[in-house]
Amino acid sequence: MKLDRRYGFPLALVACLFIPVLVHAQIADEIAYRTFPVIGSRVAIWAVAQLHLLFAAFVLAVPMFVLIIEYIGYRTGEKRYDRLAYEFTKLLSVAFSLTAAMGALLTFMLMVLYPKFTNYLVSIFGWTFLPYALLFIAEAVFLYTYYYGWGKFSPRLHLALGVGLNLVGTAILFIADAWLTFMMSPSGITESGGLENLWAAVNNFTWMPINIHRLIANISFGGSIAAAYGAYRFLSAKTDEERAHYDWMGYVGNFIAICAFLPLPFAGYWLANEIYAYSQNLGMTLMGGAFSWLFIIQAVLIGMLFLAANYYLWMGMERIKGAERFRGAIKYLLISVAVCVLVWAIPHSMVASIEEARKMGGAHHPLLSVLGVMSAKNTAVNILILTTYISFLLYRRGNKEATVSWAKTGNLAQFLIFTATIAFVVFLGIYGYFVEAKVRIGLSIPQVLSVLAAMVSVTVIDLMMFRTARERGEIEWGKMPVRAQYTLVFTAISFTWLMGLMGYARSGLRQHWHVYGVLRDTSVDAFTPTLGYASYVVSIIVLIFFSFIAFVFWLAGISDSREAK
Amino acid sequence: MKHLLGIVLFTVLVTAFYGYVGQLVPQQETYPPQNTEVSENLTTSEMVDVGREIFDGKGTCIACHTIGSSEAGRFPDLAGIGASSASKKEGLSDVEYLAESLYEPDEFIVDGFSPGMPPVNKPPISLGQQEVLTLIAYLQSLGVQPTVTMQTKLKYAAEIQENAATDLASSEEVGGEELGGEALLAAQGCIACHHLTEPLRLVGPSLFDVGKKLTRGEIYEALMDPDATIAEGYPPGLMSASMSASGFYEKITLKQLESMVNHLASLEGGK
Repeated sequence: MKLDRRYGFPLALVACLFIPVLVHAQIADEIAYRTFPVIGSRVAIWAVAQLHLLFAAFVLAVPMFVLIIEYIGYRTGEKRYDRLAYEFTKLLSVAFSLTAAMGALLTFMLMVLYPKFTNYLVSIFGWTFLPYALLFIAEAVFLYTYYYGWGKFSPRLHLALGVGLNLVGTAILFIADAWLTFMMSPSGITESGGLENLWAAVNNFTWMPINIHRLIANISFGGSIAAAYGAYRFLSAKTDEERAHYDWMGYVGNFIAICAFLPLPFAGYWLANEIYAYSQNLGMTLMGGAFSWLFIIQAVLIGMLFLAANYYLWMGMERIKGAERFRGAIKYLLISVAVCVLVWAIPHSMVASIEEARKMGGAHHPLLSVLGVMSAKNTAVNILILTTYISFLLYRRGNKEATVSWAKTGNLAQFLIFTATIAFVVFLGIYGYFVEAKVRIGLSIPQVLSVLAAMVSVTVIDLMMFRTARERGEIEWGKMPVRAQYTLVFTAISFTWLMGLMGYARSGLRQHWHVYGVLRDTSVDAFTPTLGYASYVVSIIVLIFFSFIAFVFWLAGISDSREAK
Repeated sequence: MKHLLGIVLFTVLVTAFYGYVGQLVPQQETYPPQNTEVSENLTTSEMVDVGREIFDGKGTCIACHTIGSSEAGRFPDLAGIGASSASKKEGLSDVEYLAESLYEPDEFIVDGFSPGMPPVNKPPISLGQQEVLTLIAYLQSLGVQPTVTMQTKLKYAAEIQENAATDLASSEEVGGEELGGEALLAAQGCIACHHLTEPLRLVGPSLFDVGKKLTRGEIYEALMDPDATIAEGYPPGLMSASMSASGFYEKITLKQLESMVNHLASLEGGK
């Protein structure tokens, strides 16, 4: 009976979501748009869709790393992993309900405000709604059984539930991605827009790149929110034991966020590549047209995230006995991060007054514009990733001393790999200035692959070298400054803002099309707003999201204090 | 509690900072491309002007092609294309080559470049046959004296199903798309409350010189959000209520709205 009540709310939401869709088609024939009061239909849909996506990202991502943490706890027998996994899971229950509520609201608003467009999507994807609804129910069953069954089932059965939860969550993501990617790169339809092949409509150009990009980004985002929860609990902790636990929780969350963050630019590159492959016009709008300045804002955000990630690791080294020997390296790492971020944030064409533009001989700065092109930016981001990886490597080695006989050779090999990779990446970056576009675009791939290869090979050497390492001292969990906790909160806000911005980029890219090249936007909102306007909307969405997240954290805290009693 | 407030304040500050960063980049609204008026009686020189307009606007050619740039672009630079097009592909005249490049861009790819240009007669560009002719005239003018005319027959003419997919969007639109701004103002009932030709006060203020008093943006705002700024001596809420009641905001299309704004902006008190 108790179980029924737990499932009641999400199941009711599912019913609310899908039954109206079936009766919606008739109404949609009559009118194309309706106006939302005060803020207009576009902003209303924008806000609700983004909030739904943020909560969905969190709900899909957390079970992925919870499962891994639980598995580590199961294999090692260390209770602290199990406790950590359970604490992360606590955040899911309310977040799942909020995700469903936002999803229902989004569906209703689409039907009311954009009936013709919604009707068109239903005509293409109607057959995907039933499996989506069933999967949604399955997710509710898995999630609540996984959460409420903690410690009550055998570990293996519980892990199996976690696997099921992740599989179902991923399938839901993939179906929803089919709808939204179809809007950007439609396929499987006739010239007049009618459905020809459902699988082709699902498997459109940007479907799989978005699936992968979102999976990785979700983990990164989920990790950062979980780390922010650790920071919040650390700051409210009353005992050293609590502080130690939540310091560790914050570290694990941040570690997950950064690990997923490092390959994210590569997934983003693949996505952009597929956008170009689908439509050069769309690609040019994204990178060279109206949205090109959005990537300068993105560069500031990503630069801040990399700075915060490195700063947190450097502060973390202060609580590791033995890590002080690496302090000298930090200033060089900081210089590298700062230079790379600056290069990445330099625009190709400058914002200048007419007088300044005349002095420069155009919108391009004679010197700095050289660094504003993709050759320089790709080089910068690759070195930035390597630098962050080096910071993590030093952190990891903090209290360890290799005892294997080949330690010196191993260190030398790692140094040579880094040096050769950086030289190769810089060489390709410079070479890109001297070749035609077709060749230049292709150079990004060897740059990316060389960095990935370097990280994998150095990690393998490091794991082997430090497997039997001697410890120089302990990690004093809990001995982290308050500013480190604010760094975690900063990272979570930056990730959220970045997701909001890129959500706008993906959706706004279609400009005056609901479905690119197929269904034109003829509403009063068909124009693309300024980036400043978009930034304000994103900021407000982020603040609303964090208000909800504060509620989630508060509820999780209440649950903890009840359990403690 | 102190830390909780600290986190709240910090969140607001960081969010505001990123919002501020967004204000530092160039601010530009992008509107859907305008349809260019193409008359069948255009002279070749007029065709060149219209073609240039399409090149920079609706055709979106300028997004990928440069003219006379030394930087290696993603697509070929078009400086001198008018002169070189006659010898690009054996068996095709310059006009035929340019037409093929526009209608079937993948038929011939210039060395060193990849395919990727969409046919201009299909969405998302959707140029009509006459617009394509003007575009050819403009491209020809980049090198030679244009020879194409509005009467030139292209072999693609019979094959074109112009704007096939776009029709999905426009076929079910609320009527009145073909009406001009003045007729739309009448059809929407605006003239019941506003005088358009004389400085006479009706229920609402006269609009006979509104183009001198308000910018296009302000006129747009006055239509879409009438209560944002109320003319002195007039009651707030009346216009928004009557427009909502008439279903104006649900029926009006962007194109119609543009026509109305254009017409109102042109009203300068009879001068």
